[in-house]
Amino acid sequence: MSGNRRSLGVLATSRFRIAIVYSIVFSLGAALLLSIVYLAVSNVVDSGTDNLIEAEVQGLREQYRVLSRDDFIELIEQRSQAQDVRGAVYLLVDPQNRPVAGNVPQWPQGADAQGADAQGKWLEFVVSVPFGDETRDHEMRARRFVLPGGYRMLVGHDVQERHNVKHLMFQGLIVAVVLTLLLGLGGGLWMGRRILAQAGAVSAVAQQIMRGDLSQRLPVRNTDDEFDALAREINGMLEKIEQLTLGMRTVLDSAAHDLRTPLNRLQSRAESGMAALPVSSPAHHVLEQVSVEVDRMRGTLDALLRIALAETGTVARESVDLSELVTSMVELYAPVSEERGIAFSSGIAAGAVIQGSRQLLAQALANLLDNAIKFTPAGGSIAVALRVPPDGAEVSVSDNGPGIPADKRELVLGRRVRLDEARNLPGSGLGLSLVAAVTKLHGAELMLDDASPGLNVTIKFLSA
Amino acid sequence: MHILIVEDDETARAYLAKALREAGHTVDVAGDGMEGLHMASSTALDLAIVDRMLPKLDGLALIQSLRATGRKTPVLILSALGEVDDRITGLRAGGDDYLTKPYHMAELLARVDALGRRGESSGSDSIAKLRVADLELDRMTRRVTRGGKKIELTAREFQLLEYLMRHSGQVVTRTMLLEGVWDYHFDPQTNVIDVHISRLRHAIDKDFDKALLHTVRGAGYSLREEE
Repeated sequence: MSGNRRSLGVLATSRFRIAIVYSIVFSLGAALLLSIVYLAVSNVVDSGTDNLIEAEVQGLREQYRVLSRDDFIELIEQRSQAQDVRGAVYLLVDPQNRPVAGNVPQWPQGADAQGADAQGKWLEFVVSVPFGDETRDHEMRARRFVLPGGYRMLVGHDVQERHNVKHLMFQGLIVAVVLTLLLGLGGGLWMGRRILAQAGAVSAVAQQIMRGDLSQRLPVRNTDDEFDALAREINGMLEKIEQLTLGMRTVLDSAAHDLRTPLNRLQSRAESGMAALPVSSPAHHVLEQVSVEVDRMRGTLDALLRIALAETGTVARESVDLSELVTSMVELYAPVSEERGIAFSSGIAAGAVIQGSRQLLAQALANLLDNAIKFTPAGGSIAVALRVPPDGAEVSVSDNGPGIPADKRELVLGRRVRLDEARNLPGSGLGLSLVAAVTKLHGAELMLDDASPGLNVTIKFLSA
Repeated sequence: MHILIVEDDETARAYLAKALREAGHTVDVAGDGMEGLHMASSTALDLAIVDRMLPKLDGLALIQSLRATGRKTPVLILSALGEVDDRITGLRAGGDDYLTKPYHMAELLARVDALGRRGESSGSDSIAKLRVADLELDRMTRRVTRGGKKIELTAREFQLLEYLMRHSGQVVTRTMLLEGVWDYHFDPQTNVIDVHISRLRHAIDKDFDKALLHTVRGAGYSLREEE
């Protein structure tokens, strides 16, 4: 449960992260592009006006040299009248700062720099211009220069339009970047969802397969993109796994059938023979031994088949209340233990639920308890515990019997090694092998520790 | 009881038929699934014993077809497969009990008796009070008395006694108890059931002259009043 919630959280954050990164990169690109356009355009506009004014200043300087002062004043007046103030501005003042000619009423405030250093500088000021019935303030950009005789001249241009254009462009730029950011975010979310939906589908299918349903396949949307190609490849792989596993189960079933059928005949014959013989006869005794051996073989066969089945991973899973299972196993085994003079104690936490096979888990626990009871001498003790750490559940069975030497612990778990070696160890080595197989089937971890003295076996399940 | 055996292994079939006849049952035999289905649908049977893997018609398909015609004949499935999942599939297909080969004849006979009893008195599950001699068990109040004297039992001992009383007069095997009372399907290496039985016996028989809970050698236990 908590695992599901956690993985959903991860999906949500990584989807968000993809979207953020995607949109930031996208918007940074757009902002850079638009800034270059903005700078280029304003540069062209600015330098256009400036060149115009420079040319006019140059022209007037030359006119002043050729013309008399009165003719020059006449020329300025003409130009001033020819031009609306919104086009160009002119102002000629005498040495006493009185306007002599031009379409600007007075020398602008703060622009009365007399020094020669003021000559080369640009001047910006505001002029009220008529606009229908009212007047509006317009930005002006001007050059001033001193004429021989102490007269000073101001030549400028209305740059309000230019400012408006630049302002508009700047606003457009901001809007464009914001829109790009939003588009990027949306696109990123969409892309992220698409990618993660695919990842989620893979994860969901993988979980169902892990639960033993090998027929699950990834959805293919027939869009012929990389996701589809990937899904097809994974499905091909799953197909192969299913075939192999089913093949293995078929082999297992045939093996089971071909061994159980003759064993069954043997058991029937032995029992039928015993029924026809007096109990005290030697033949009856022999048949009884045969029957016991058949039982033993059946036990080994059952254990081997269960181990093999657990290892194919095709066992159906269900919700298993581990707390209930451990409680009931303890309740089943405690009387036997006490009967043999072995103290039995248990501490079982409530509410541990896992996905798995109840019967195989019960068999594994039974094997551990059988072993503990078998190896613990009278007067010893056995303790069973079920703990629920936040990340799963932990079942442990400890005894204070002889234990298993550290160098033999791996041996009793490994099946291939055990078949040859563990036969020589006390008891049937298959018990722990089955525990190991069942543990692996449930994605759990099996640990054998020294309980000094004795053996402590822990199965650690991770929450599904 | 009238019992049909559907089993393709000739030797096993012959021994099974012989043992069932000796136990006093009327026995019909079939060697493949089609023949088995035909006989099961046309005869009034008390019980069918069906092998899982049969020629012509698979054992599970046979049971499904039989159930589809509305027949409620109890069916005991014999299986030579691995068993962890197969038991569930078998019972889901409509089987009533499941036994893995090789089996002891005593185990099979005990299960046949239990299934036969279930068939004739299917109402016994709903009876509130069970009684064997002077031993009484009330399912509603969960009270057990013998000769009017109250007997204290743990929850599990109560379930164990209830199971034995529902099958009173029959032989109940250790495996049947482990399945019926604990819902476990494995053979424990230790004699866990025996210890529980001996505790129950201590509770219900110790202070009384007549023992009710008997051990049946080589088979299991039986709760009954002995004459």
